[in-house]
Amino acid sequence: MREKLKEIIGRYDVEYIEDYRSWVKAKLKNKEDLLPLIKELKKAGVKSCSTVSPTDFIDENRIEVNYFLENLNPTKSSKEEEKVNVWLKVDLDRDLQNCEIDSITPIMPSANYHELEAYSTFGVKFRGHPNLRYFLISRDYYGKFPFRKDFDFKEHEKNLIENINAITDEFLEEFEEHEKTIGHEGSRTVLHWGPTHPASGPIRLKVFTNGEIIEKVEPDIGYVWRALENLVERKDFIGAIVAVERICFMDNPNPMICYSEAVEEIAGKEITPFAKYMRVILGETGRIASHLISMGSFFGTMGLQTFLMWCLDVREYFLDVLEDYSGARIATSCIEPGGVRYPLPDPEAWFNEIDKAIKKWEKVKPDIEDIFLKNPLMTKRAKNTGVFTLEDVEEYFLAGPVARASGAKIDVRIDEPYAGYADLEMDYVTCENGDARDRLYIIVKEVDQSIGLIKQAIEKIREGIEKGEMNPSKDHLIKMPKKLPAGESVRRIEWARGEILMHLVTQDKATSPYRLKIKTPSVNHTMMLENLLPGHTLSDIPLLYGSMHICQGDLDR
Amino acid sequence: MIFEIGEKIIRVMKAFTEPRIAIKDIVKEPAHKSPIFRGRHEIHYEFCIGCDACNKICPVDAIKMKPLPLKKPRMVPEVNLAVCIFCGLCEDVCPTKPKAIKLSGGDIEIIAPDGTHKTLEDFWVRVDIPEEWIEQKKREEEEKARKKREMMEKKKREAELKKQEAKGEEK
Repeated sequence: MREKLKEIIGRYDVEYIEDYRSWVKAKLKNKEDLLPLIKELKKAGVKSCSTVSPTDFIDENRIEVNYFLENLNPTKSSKEEEKVNVWLKVDLDRDLQNCEIDSITPIMPSANYHELEAYSTFGVKFRGHPNLRYFLISRDYYGKFPFRKDFDFKEHEKNLIENINAITDEFLEEFEEHEKTIGHEGSRTVLHWGPTHPASGPIRLKVFTNGEIIEKVEPDIGYVWRALENLVERKDFIGAIVAVERICFMDNPNPMICYSEAVEEIAGKEITPFAKYMRVILGETGRIASHLISMGSFFGTMGLQTFLMWCLDVREYFLDVLEDYSGARIATSCIEPGGVRYPLPDPEAWFNEIDKAIKKWEKVKPDIEDIFLKNPLMTKRAKNTGVFTLEDVEEYFLAGPVARASGAKIDVRIDEPYAGYADLEMDYVTCENGDARDRLYIIVKEVDQSIGLIKQAIEKIREGIEKGEMNPSKDHLIKMPKKLPAGESVRRIEWARGEILMHLVTQDKATSPYRLKIKTPSVNHTMMLENLLPGHTLSDIPLLYGSMHICQGDLDR
Repeated sequence: MIFEIGEKIIRVMKAFTEPRIAIKDIVKEPAHKSPIFRGRHEIHYEFCIGCDACNKICPVDAIKMKPLPLKKPRMVPEVNLAVCIFCGLCEDVCPTKPKAIKLSGGDIEIIAPDGTHKTLEDFWVRVDIPEEWIEQKKREEEEKARKKREMMEKKKREAELKKQEAKGEEK
């Protein structure tokens, strides 16, 4: 596979082709080559675009656009056949007029929102994009491209009142436009689902309906846009973890693992085995904490809050585990470049706490299965609704539990192992049908898988302590250099709701990241709503939306 | 029929014998307390060396340095809890032993006992340094400076003496 991809890319005019972990990395000399190359790559099996990430090199007067194309291959496990991805780079002029490149959205629909995001924040114009518009950012940033290095946030914030007025004006204009285009006759109308709907979270779905039938859905996002990617650039390498962990409060430790591994790679450091297994335990605990909310809010969106309360009760025990280790329940900031942040003076006491949490889950689980998972009302509504096929998974790059519910064998923990996962035994957890109900079942299965992984990691740590190879009160951190060399790294991790990809760029003698692109799964899942919802009725929106496990924290960043 | 009703009554009665779920008054005592819970800061001015490291690393600029009329510590940190995110980086970076600024094991109670705050001033962790301590520290510093000066003078004199001796030998 690797040779084949290299051969295809080698036919074009490239500066270099090299191997990088599971990627084939190449830089194109001409931007006109991009479209034909991507067409060929798609034929060869690299069908999904993970993200489009521009980097602004202001000193060299160029913008480098990175395309991360992934070979998901959902029918085969990575043990049978290696999954090789492609990382393409193209240089563009920094000048706003010439900063233009062909859009790959017509070929790979999964690039849609990522291209819009790159356009809104960096001003890279994508020729041939079906609907190129400002996206994610609010009206007051239109045309200013806030992630460019010469944008001044402080100057922008001086006109606070005008900025807020601009945002409200946008809503009024939109309302008037709908009045004109749709009118008052007939049964067509535009409904706004969210941001104040009890099931929605801070997102607004503009639902174009005809009677009860949905014709078109346009997600309006950006209500919790905090520009985390830009915020990271203003902090040092350690301080950046508090920005990274705020991607989403539900699964807290995993984004920090991703970021820390990216920094460690540039620094050229290897962490201790103890820290690796600690990362597994913390990451899996975070995953369970997230899944418990996902599970509960699946029913919450249908109007039954009891299950959510039960799940939150169990979740408390897993948060206790995090609190005992790090001193905080939700924003733990427990993992930093170089290992994990705190020593573990009394491992057995902490393992007991984990045991307590697992026992609590196992005690509640039979009841959950009887009352909720076999619930006839839920089955009636959710079975065979909103089915995703394996082609959808590849076409729109669905990730994590949503993809695995359709039977896709995708899991970064197995495909490209990080932390201590390489030494642990695990297999893909999948369901078959890919309907809304399976997306609930897969979550329950994954909680059990996570508990298994935690137990294995604890066993490894115990063995290590017995043999005298690990010292929990000293091994947690290695010394990291204060200044990093110039370089870039890409890391993927399996987050609770899909795959996170982080692209970190540093410059020479760096004390803070030059650019950090965070690709999160909810972007693609929200994008999927546009194709999923039309044809369904209004009452299906909360159910299908809840089944996608979308979190606005990582959608907007 | 009667049997069924009796069974139901017994089932309901059982609820009285169940242990109560709420066994802790969480207003007074947290349901779970970690030994390193990151709570309200404790600032020990005695240990502080005024290095400004906590201020520099704070990701949200919650720390403000209060200037002192001393050479060491030149200033001490004060924390605005309304801004603080309790990440604990200030404690990690503090170079003194024991730590001059400390969150872990800190107080969970940030809200005042009556449940309300009248002013934003209540959210500040201030450092109250007694006048005597500053006076004493000043005196110590003066003493040190005087000793240093004396040492320098002594050294100077010795050096001069040596020079003179050397000159005498040359002659």
